[in-house]
Amino acid sequence: MTQEKETRRIVIPEVTRVEGHSAVTVDIKDGEVVDVKLDVFEGTRFFERIVVGHKADEMAHLTSRICAICSTGHVLASIRALEAAVQYKPSVRLNLFRELMHLGMIIESHATHLCALVLPDFLGTKDLLTFADKFKDEFALWTSLRSLGCAIQTMVGGRPFHPVNLHVFKLSHYPSRESLESLLPDLKSGAELALKLAHTFLNLKLPNIPSLEPNYLCLEQDGVYGYFGDHIRSSEGFRRPISEYKEYLSEYAVTYSHAKKSRSNGKPYMVGAIARLHFYHELLGSTARSIYMASDLARGSCNSMLNNLAQAIELVQAIERVQTIIALLSELSHEPEVEAPEPRLVGSGVGAVECPRGTLYHSYEVDEQGVITAADMITPSAQNTERIERDIRNTVSHRLAENGAGKDENLECDLETLIRSYDPCNTCATHAVRLRYV
Amino acid sequence: MNLENKHNTLPTIAVEGLTGCAGELLVILENLDKLLPFVRVVSFPFAQSSNQGGPVDITFVEGSVSQKHDLEKLERIRAASRWLVAVGNCAVWGCVQKGGCTNCSAAEKMLQVYGKDANFDVLEAAPLEKHVHVDVRLSGCPINATQFLSVTASLLQDHLPYITSKPVCLECKLKENPCVLIEDNLPCLGPVTAAGCGALCPSVGAACYGCWGPCQSPQMEAMAQVLTEKGFALEEVISRLGSFGAPAELFKRWKPFNENGAAVKGV
Repeated sequence: MTQEKETRRIVIPEVTRVEGHSAVTVDIKDGEVVDVKLDVFEGTRFFERIVVGHKADEMAHLTSRICAICSTGHVLASIRALEAAVQYKPSVRLNLFRELMHLGMIIESHATHLCALVLPDFLGTKDLLTFADKFKDEFALWTSLRSLGCAIQTMVGGRPFHPVNLHVFKLSHYPSRESLESLLPDLKSGAELALKLAHTFLNLKLPNIPSLEPNYLCLEQDGVYGYFGDHIRSSEGFRRPISEYKEYLSEYAVTYSHAKKSRSNGKPYMVGAIARLHFYHELLGSTARSIYMASDLARGSCNSMLNNLAQAIELVQAIERVQTIIALLSELSHEPEVEAPEPRLVGSGVGAVECPRGTLYHSYEVDEQGVITAADMITPSAQNTERIERDIRNTVSHRLAENGAGKDENLECDLETLIRSYDPCNTCATHAVRLRYV
Repeated sequence: MNLENKHNTLPTIAVEGLTGCAGELLVILENLDKLLPFVRVVSFPFAQSSNQGGPVDITFVEGSVSQKHDLEKLERIRAASRWLVAVGNCAVWGCVQKGGCTNCSAAEKMLQVYGKDANFDVLEAAPLEKHVHVDVRLSGCPINATQFLSVTASLLQDHLPYITSKPVCLECKLKENPCVLIEDNLPCLGPVTAAGCGALCPSVGAACYGCWGPCQSPQMEAMAQVLTEKGFALEEVISRLGSFGAPAELFKRWKPFNENGAAVKGV
């Protein structure tokens, strides 16, 4: 048998159905993958520089513009960072409203990603008309679930994204018990729809891709399957306060992309739903947990495409948790709306939240006048970049070994499906990236 | 006639993104079910895999022109489109990437954010109109879905839509909100900001921060005077007024600015 001598290049000039613009190039020589590049060519907006010189209270509405679909995440990360700078502890009620807002984003983002961006791969539809016309149930599933997420965010934040009601130390308006409870009927029907969607993903046959070793990072949770935390947990065994993020994450520059790469413990790692479930599946409610237990996730599979199912499980859990929060807030609604006195904003702080796609960090330095003098933002998609490349490399190598030099017609499609399962958000990845040479 | 054949005779639309937050793409995607009976979507890379180039009746473009790649794409889009609609603050005014930091060039920002080895084809962030002719400017951050649908409906009837840009104060008065600028001394930019959002911020007791861009004939000097009288430092007033892309010429008559619209230090 002679070894096929060939040089091949697989190019996906624009990965569609993801947020923002990216391209993939895979170079193959003599049957071996020699190079993989994920080129994020979304334009840059230099947010770390833009916010410098602005007042600290402007951070929520300026940084929300990094990304529409994650805007609530950026708003909350910036608020948490500034409150950490002055050791401010928000009230139970304020925290519940923030969690409610965040869950609205999780529901809207996961529903849009799963139904509108991922499902067409498995249904085999390439354009919107076919999807809307031939798969009416799936299309309706998406519109109902994302409307629910929008309704929650609109009620708490004032609009579906780029919220106007969330500020450092406070909400400017506290939604009434009546408006909270008006969401209950849609939550009830949403719970059924989410369960249906989760079963759809549970039963999907995934394309043949090899698993990577797990190297997951996620914010530490306490008692509730949640999305805020002050410490990071790593599947490599360490636990560190997020204020030390520069030490446990190492980032480096690449010349071909507007998004940097990031490593932890010297290895590419993954953040997002699959990482959160890896650590905290035991905190899931009974419905979400039963889906988890029936899935390959519970059997230790590290196939990155299971991130889709992980998001579907989180969707079920989020809708259940929203109902609990509404009950808790209704009980609190008789108490007067008093927050602790507002301290003067000064100093430096780091805040982090688990966005739909993984851990998002914001870090600020504020001078005596309350003006931002330095800022840093680390987005989940930038953190996942190198692992996506590693996944592409392994998949192509594996398929070349399987198929030899023969044509593998599904390979490019499967690579796009693989990239999409990370739910990459290139607007985030490029707009908030700072390169540090390590 | 089956649905697909009928569909092929419908007017065509395309939805494209340059450099922005993808918010307008999201609003359009979320409202597309209302348009699908009337148009054929020939290109929408955010939402579908099968996208064609070539002539199109209406193209909606989100985002600012911030790199060479954006400009080349925009020129292709302009050449292929009968109507070009700039959607969202980024496409109409340039948003925070243009107005957030006006005293520092794109090259300086690149150096400070990406380090000395970075070498991207960056351009100074600019609205579409700086580079190509734009038929309709629909601002918003994000755009209002009802306005988007009515713009589309007008254009499908070969009619340029009428978009008002009265100040946010007008919507506030209609909602009978107490004035957060006068009564609460908040730095509300409602008097100089285009309405359409429904006066969202003042309605929850917060200050409007200008995200829809300037209203028609905004009185920037008067606005600045009110804010400085309320004790806000001039530098802060300048930075707040310009954050969401208000163009330099609006500040020309105002003393703290030179004739190019750049802030004069120490006034």
